[in-house]
Amino acid sequence: MEVLLDKNRIKNFIEVLLGYGRVFASWEKEIFSNRGSKTRRFVREIKDNFSDYYIPKVRTFDNFKSFVLPGRFKVAEYPSEKWIDIGEKGEKEVLLGIKACDLNSFYMIDKVFLEDSLFVDPFYKKRRESLILISSDCGDSLDSCFCNVLGFSPYPEKGFDINIVELKEFYLLEIGSKIGEEISKNLSLNQAGKKELRERDEKRRKVKDKLEKQNREFSKAFFYLESIAEQAFDSDSGWELGSACVSCGACTNVCPVCYCFTLFDRKGEKENNYKRFMVWDSCQFKGFSQMAGGLNPRFSHIDQFKNRYYHKFFRFYKKFGVYKCTGCGRCIDNCLGGIDMREVFLGALEGVKR
Amino acid sequence: MENIYYPHKGVVKEIKEETPKIKTYRLKLDKKLSFRAGQFMQLTVPGVGEAPFTPSSSPGEVEEMEITIMRTGRVTSVLHKEVKVGDFLGLRGPFGKGYPIEKFIGKEILIVGGGVGLAPLRSLIYALFDRIEEIKQIYICYGAKSPEDQCFKDEYKDWERKKKVSLNLTIDESHPKWKGTVGLVTCLLEKDYLKKIGIDIKNSYVVSCGPDVMLKFVTFKLLEVGFKPEQIYLSMNRRMSCGFGKCARCNIGPYYLCKDGPDMCYADIKDYPNVFC
Ligand SMILES: Cc1cc2nc3c(=O)[nH]c(=O)nc-3n(C[C@H](O)[C@H](O)[C@H](O)COP(=O)(O)OP(=O)(O)OC[C@H]3O[C@@H](n4cnc5c(N)ncnc54)[C@H](O)[C@@H]3O)c2cc1C
Ligand code: SF4
Ligand code: SF4
Ligand code: FES
Repeated sequence: MEVLLDKNRIKNFIEVLLGYGRVFASWEKEIFSNRGSKTRRFVREIKDNFSDYYIPKVRTFDNFKSFVLPGRFKVAEYPSEKWIDIGEKGEKEVLLGIKACDLNSFYMIDKVFLEDSLFVDPFYKKRRESLILISSDCGDSLDSCFCNVLGFSPYPEKGFDINIVELKEFYLLEIGSKIGEEISKNLSLNQAGKKELRERDEKRRKVKDKLEKQNREFSKAFFYLESIAEQAFDSDSGWELGSACVSCGACTNVCPVCYCFTLFDRKGEKENNYKRFMVWDSCQFKGFSQMAGGLNPRFSHIDQFKNRYYHKFFRFYKKFGVYKCTGCGRCIDNCLGGIDMREVFLGALEGVKR
Repeated sequence: MENIYYPHKGVVKEIKEETPKIKTYRLKLDKKLSFRAGQFMQLTVPGVGEAPFTPSSSPGEVEEMEITIMRTGRVTSVLHKEVKVGDFLGLRGPFGKGYPIEKFIGKEILIVGGGVGLAPLRSLIYALFDRIEEIKQIYICYGAKSPEDQCFKDEYKDWERKKKVSLNLTIDESHPKWKGTVGLVTCLLEKDYLKKIGIDIKNSYVVSCGPDVMLKFVTFKLLEVGFKPEQIYLSMNRRMSCGFGKCARCNIGPYYLCKDGPDMCYADIKDYPNVFC
């Protein structure tokens, strides 16, 4: 179902959302300094003064993974009966304006934390089920965006409660779930007509065309992804770009789908009380796979570098039938070595051919 | 919903010094627990951390469990130095698949261990003893640095006395107190030696556990004397944290050792990069 929201009624929309729980939104801000102005896009909680709020055209700098997997959080206190079972329900959190790539990332991580019925992660489940997802179409693309070569679109197709498309005169709301329907009923909105749907499709085509154009030279590497994934990892040729990697872990931190973690324990404040935390880890750190005696199956720098690709496009794919990458391009924007994943794949493709 | 990260209590009932660097801890469990031979536990030293260990006791025991641990790094050092009888440790698990014992029925089993690697194999040995009627023959080949470094010494006599069991020991270098075979464990896998003990290579499976280098040379030796990759099961070593396929560090190719292993059929892993470190 598609309905229309007058642009000046976005405040009412947010007010309704605030009735459901805390609201976290993609936010855009012009930052002025003596070096000129810069547009910043980040995730920010909305509490009041949202009268001038609008949905940014492209994805935020930060990802939304902390809403399901915070960087560091307590998973147990022991010995303590209280921590053996974890309650089911959490308080609702609304994510407003998230783009297709970030929406997709949730469905990818779900596979790891929810699908194995013997080992469902209770913390992840609770957080995940508490999310209300209000997504939005991309109105443009960044240079680093490449969702299209992975077969995704720059607009959400499923998995949202409500998806928002910005049209010239309205926000078009696509309703994707019961809760989405309930939210929209609060606002008594009119059905969208053929004209508005046509305008939406036209907009979508434009952004998609732009993406296709900017990624044309890379598409052949991604077309052969499966076979590169199978073959390139055995050979070191084609991976030369990896030598610029400084193992900082920025790529995995900013990635909405990188979920690797480690558990660490601490003494509590009280006698006979200990705490266990889950913290983000990165396969790009030396200690990630290091064993007693300094043995490490990914000892060489290049093996360590390759693992990220291997995991995303081979191991994960073998297990779950999808690649573990949304094409959001955050790893490209943030790499200290200036490494572009798309170019790495072009290189790997050449390596396979050689 | 059950918290999969919570360590259940195991109170230390007894500590036995096997060698200067290896101790066996007998734990009384607060929650009954059954495992298959080869499955492993994440053991917590409270406030210090977790490390993976495969129980060395019989899978038939559900209220108590033995874990045999070598001192190597952070967690194991604190364990050896500070943990006393009466203290509690944490346990999560069991994790992993365990040995495919059903496959071993009607076959000869060659068990190859090195150092503390005999610990997980001991639980397999007990499991096989329980079904000895269905097994054709068990050959145990075990190598240690010196006689002082041998685990479970006081059980060798019992093992040897069992029917269908052949125990073969070696130490790395000659030693005044040792009259038996001298050499790395692979010397027990030479063609002549296997012929002497009478193993029927075609009708057997091999199970091996030990340090990474040992596994590597054992595997190459086994292939050289005529075993097929399909007949070889190796307890592979990888760093672990979660134990259930989520933290993503314990892999060989597409496999997670904590879910698909830790014992892997060599045929399944041999074509992937960096099988041995
Ligand atoms: C499935 C499995 C079963 C094992 N069974 C036994 C056993 O029965 N007896 C025994 O003595 N040892 C066993 N080990 C090896 C044992 O886990 C390591 O010796 C131990 O983790 C070292 O911990 P540490 O903190 O003292 O060492 P550190 O080097 O300080 O290691 C820090 C952390 O890294 C991880 N780690 C380090 N080395 C290894 C390793 N070799 N394998 C996996 N993770 C590692 C652990 O989480 C450890 O806490 C087993 C390993 C695996 C994977
Ligand atoms: S690997 Fe890079 S492009 Fe892919 S999802 Fe992660 S950050 Fe985005
Ligand atoms: S961000 Fe770049 S330099 Fe840093 S670990 Fe990732 S690939 Fe290496
Ligand atoms: S130990 Fe975490 S995935 Fe295997």
